[in-house]
Amino acid sequence: MADKEFEPKIIGFFCNWCTYAGADLAGVSRLQYPPNIRVIRVMCSGTVSPHHVLRAFQKGADGVLVGGCHIGDCHYLKGNYMTIKRMRFLQDLLKFIGLESERLHLEWISAAEGPKLAQTVRDFTEKIRKLGPSPLKRAKLAA
Amino acid sequence: MERLRAKVKKLLEEKKVAGYLGYKMVEGHPLPHLFTLENLAELEQSIVAPGNARYPLDKLLQVLAARYPEASFAIQVRGCDERGLNELYKWGQLDPEKVVPVGVACPQEQADYCECPGPWPSVIDYGEKCNPVAVSRRVQQVDALPQSQAFEEWLGHFAKCIKCYGCRDVCPMCFCKECSLEHPELMSTGKVPPDTIFQLVRAIHMAGRCIDCGLCEEACPADIPLRVLYKKANELVKELFGYETGSPATGPSPWRFLGEEVTLEPKPL
Repeated sequence: MADKEFEPKIIGFFCNWCTYAGADLAGVSRLQYPPNIRVIRVMCSGTVSPHHVLRAFQKGADGVLVGGCHIGDCHYLKGNYMTIKRMRFLQDLLKFIGLESERLHLEWISAAEGPKLAQTVRDFTEKIRKLGPSPLKRAKLAA
Repeated sequence: MERLRAKVKKLLEEKKVAGYLGYKMVEGHPLPHLFTLENLAELEQSIVAPGNARYPLDKLLQVLAARYPEASFAIQVRGCDERGLNELYKWGQLDPEKVVPVGVACPQEQADYCECPGPWPSVIDYGEKCNPVAVSRRVQQVDALPQSQAFEEWLGHFAKCIKCYGCRDVCPMCFCKECSLEHPELMSTGKVPPDTIFQLVRAIHMAGRCIDCGLCEEACPADIPLRVLYKKANELVKELFGYETGSPATGPSPWRFLGEEVTLEPKPL
């Protein structure tokens, strides 16, 4: 492990209407961001269940980034009201069992915020790189 | 005990309820039993389960209520059981019009063992109120651990799981027909110990639903401190959303509605 440089594996759940469109904008604007993120498009960030986040960690993700519309801009009016409830709760629960809660991050990114998307992915990737591999993954290797 | 039996007898004789779900001593073991008007004499054997002998009566009541939707039932409840009833009313699993609680206050030893914040129900037909335990020391102990140590400890516990589903099967609040724990797309199947996230998935479902009866932990053959996990989940729900699980006063669970406004903000990166 030590001889190979650690490349974080990050799963992104991006909402179809805002954050995914923001990623599109980042793309057509030729903005650079690290390829560590694997994006999964969902119709609304409110459809991202804590199960999906936990499943991502179980399968070896080092970080999970959830992106949704700003509050008030949700295509389904209030889907993201649920997103923030779930993610805040899950972050605190992860912290209780000793997993860094920073490995799960929620960011509101609109379709117009291509630069914000690129910056968020860059910052998040660096943060996870500093944190190192997910302890869940290490546990799996040891087993 | 006489007070409790007299109340039940009256309920049965006046046909206010079709049956009373309580306990009866069978060959030295306190077991759940349905007392009815047809076997009224049996009522003399009706007891409050001694010591910490407890069964998920709320769960049995759900089965009865589903089979006899028109009938009303009386049920022996401790503080936790009543919280369970309240929560089940909110989740549409029981009809409050068709349930008559017969209350039992827990003794101090039980409350201390459970670290129970509400060891008596709203009506008391047996026992005396004791001192509630407001703060869980078991949760505090885990909170105080350094992060990596907490993770190692939980991991050690999770690795003991033999995936018997005992925690779920005994739980009075687990009423779903389909279970995420058995969903092949959410959980690996056919291996023991299960995925590390197994207990966390259950903890998510217990948040704002667990009534802290502790039967899961008692049923667990691997001695996983499940109760600590669910106590914390409920603590978080209270902290974040102001929701008091099992209280008739606070509205529906925060997971059941979107809300009128957003008070939380994403944590900064």
